[in-house]
Amino acid sequence: MPNFPALFRKVKSFSVSIREIILPFFLWMLTPFLILVAAFITNGIIIFLFGYNPIEAYVAATKVTFGSLRGVGETLVKSTPFLMTGLSVAIAFRCGIWNIGAEGQFLIGALAATWFGTKIAVLLPNTPWIAVPLCLSMAVVAGGLWGIIPAVLKVTRGVNEVISTIMLNYVAINFVSLMIDGGPLQETSKTGPQSDPIAEWVFLPRLSEFLPRLFESHRIHIGIGIAVILAIALTFVLFRTTFGFQLRAVGEGAAAAKAAGISIAHNTLRVFFISGALAGLGGAIEIMALVPHRLTENFSPDYGYTAIAVALLAKLHPLVTVATALLFGALAKGSFAMEAEVGISRQVTLMMQAIILLFVIGSSAVKFFRKRAL
Amino acid sequence: METDNILELQHVTKTFGDLVAVDNVDFELQAGEIHAILGENGAGKSTLMNLIYGLHQPSGGSIHISGKPKIFKSPRDAIANGIGMVHQHFMLIENLTVAENIALTVAQFSSRDGKTDSIESDLKSVSQENGIPSKLSTFRYKKNDAIRLTEALSQRFGLAVDPSVLVRTLSVGLKQRVEILKALAVDARILILDEPTAVLSPQEVTDFFTILRALQSDNRSIIFISHKMKEVLEISDRITVLRHGKKVYNGKTGERSARGLAREMLGEELSEVERKQNKATTDLVLNISGLTVLGSRNETAVLDVSIQTYRGEIVGIAGVDGNGQRELAEAIMGLRPSKFGTVEILGMQPSGTKNIRRCGVGYIPEDRRTMGIITSFSIAENLMLNIMHFEHLAKHGIISQKAKNRAAMQLIDTYDIRPPFANIPAAALSGGNQQKIVLAREISPQPELLVAVNPTRGLDINAAQYVHQNLLAQRDRKKSVLLISTELDEVLQMSDRLYVMSRGKLIEATTHRENIETLGLLMMGEAATNA
Repeated sequence: MPNFPALFRKVKSFSVSIREIILPFFLWMLTPFLILVAAFITNGIIIFLFGYNPIEAYVAATKVTFGSLRGVGETLVKSTPFLMTGLSVAIAFRCGIWNIGAEGQFLIGALAATWFGTKIAVLLPNTPWIAVPLCLSMAVVAGGLWGIIPAVLKVTRGVNEVISTIMLNYVAINFVSLMIDGGPLQETSKTGPQSDPIAEWVFLPRLSEFLPRLFESHRIHIGIGIAVILAIALTFVLFRTTFGFQLRAVGEGAAAAKAAGISIAHNTLRVFFISGALAGLGGAIEIMALVPHRLTENFSPDYGYTAIAVALLAKLHPLVTVATALLFGALAKGSFAMEAEVGISRQVTLMMQAIILLFVIGSSAVKFFRKRAL
Repeated sequence: METDNILELQHVTKTFGDLVAVDNVDFELQAGEIHAILGENGAGKSTLMNLIYGLHQPSGGSIHISGKPKIFKSPRDAIANGIGMVHQHFMLIENLTVAENIALTVAQFSSRDGKTDSIESDLKSVSQENGIPSKLSTFRYKKNDAIRLTEALSQRFGLAVDPSVLVRTLSVGLKQRVEILKALAVDARILILDEPTAVLSPQEVTDFFTILRALQSDNRSIIFISHKMKEVLEISDRITVLRHGKKVYNGKTGERSARGLAREMLGEELSEVERKQNKATTDLVLNISGLTVLGSRNETAVLDVSIQTYRGEIVGIAGVDGNGQRELAEAIMGLRPSKFGTVEILGMQPSGTKNIRRCGVGYIPEDRRTMGIITSFSIAENLMLNIMHFEHLAKHGIISQKAKNRAAMQLIDTYDIRPPFANIPAAALSGGNQQKIVLAREISPQPELLVAVNPTRGLDINAAQYVHQNLLAQRDRKKSVLLISTELDEVLQMSDRLYVMSRGKLIEATTHRENIETLGLLMMGEAATNA
């Protein structure tokens, strides 16, 4: 005879978990989902107005991004910088720190990796097991320290981080130019504004090295894995550790956090370092994983700014950021397909990103006013 | 049936999920009546008012205005039907002037609903003489028109306030006046006042009652929500008592004694807090000497204050709001730098809130919604929002979910926090239950020193008594309590030694009830010049 009471309890606890965990999660995710639907429709209308068939365009984009193993791999590759910078933004915003500087931190990380890969790696020839982790840590430290600058300004002088981080982005962009255009990191032949490729043993391993037959000439690299693991780790840190608790407390209610004995200054410094480090690591992964393995001008197509949309669309949740980064990666990849097969300019993708961001901001404004009305 | 009920609720019910907040309540309000609603926290008073004001829609029953059934989809509908509400937390724009705040309301409603006709006609007679505008444009803000309108309103209702000052700079009492003016500006015939006296000093309450009487004689109706029996008996014509969402009593004021009403409210006899006589020890806990603290606007908020507290005593600091109590408490907690002087706790001079808390100091802040709790956090998270707590619950920085939930459920149980779910956001709780979270968190570790600022503000009798018992328990455990409160009754009842704070200075006072008038004078800063 089956154990009915126990069975009943199980069914009951399952229905409870549906009501208390799964349902709220879906409701919570409903807004981002609706935002996406609205953005796709709006963008479809624009495509239509330009005289193209939006459905044809979307189908072409979907086919290229998710229609084959290679397509999926390429989408993942394109998603990685969005994920790294998205995590950087998410963690900072969670703490109530409006770090708009992921762009600069990303570039500084890339710069550090390039410096290491072109100048230091030669001292450690053919030692990927040392050189790769060392190069990654170099970028982490560089990005983190770059992030510390606005933190120190904020903590000691009360400088608004929105302004200081935006300004530091320009500093970073021009500093990179200085370095690779006539500076010490310019390529040895001194022909263009770019660095030498980094040493081969600092390249990030690709999946094709382990499974050559299945992934032959695919670009999938372990940087993607690093980024996803970091997303999981950050989720754990945010919701299961004292550090994450303090960080969220500062973000949600600074006055209450302060009264509880949580130091706003310490958390600002720590979070800025982590945020900068994540973006910096993202920059390094791009250099170390992708051909041409060198730092060029316009190295980042505004990853650091798009990251704000990526993070906000994910409601600043690191795990959901994986999904939204994937979406932005797919958009980037799909834009090629739409151009090649339907003839729609790639600028449309940029428009799409902007429309998503507008809807994200619009939805929070709606929430804000509804709260106000109550 | 023909009645002169301006507002009538019939069998109104409101449910939130499984919770029945308002249960089949009938309610009548006559023109020109002050109708008080009494009830504990969570008795459904606020929900009932929100139903009338259109913030919530009833799950059952109907609302009638002057005999006609109405459905309010939002406060906009309610306002259009002549209902105004003054919330416990003011809905003013702090960085605008009084006139601008009034103008915003008027412009919003006059243009769309055309419902301000009567106030305009009221004002028209005045306006013809003085050139006061009868209407404000929605699109163009004319400063002088707004100021003249505000002046006319405040003259007409005897609510004196300077139209051209920033709301931010006003005292709480004056802000409340602006709120009332805002409601009157769109010609509210029914005014809902949610705990209006909670934030006022005794003198301000007297003025406030004069205003209410004036409004009453203007044939406006007032729904007055309060915990304070004395005030309800003084001002109201009729009283309705709610308990657990149900109407348990309705009658003319004076029909029942205060004690009888309290019994209706609580469903049981009221008991006074018992107070054992206590021998103060000579063990110093808090030693403040020569403390001077600057306020938020760089004014001297606390001036050369010296005070000691010993183990096993409650030291009370009475005073009217805004005389430096908040700054004093914040300086003790390390939340505000001190300019001169020292704060010693158990012989140490810890720096920073973290270290001060590590010395064993608990803090019940004045402003629970911003400093006490984080409303978006769950109850469990709020219950561990103290550096001592969450560090204790964690191993190597990782918080044990089991330990966290167990600790939360235990505190929810002990302090009777309702609803008793660890993982719902604190925003879903009533003010009293939010305060219980703060109490549970700050008192349960039995701190050596407890700094409590207005710990019972906005609480009902039962909850307040509960707080008092907890403070006394701290004393009986030979801990030290610094009780800073604007409730004179409270400090008199609770304190072993008493000070009065006025304009940043501390004056020692006696705890004898007979000296209550002297205390009142000290609080108003009168006797300070004689001393």
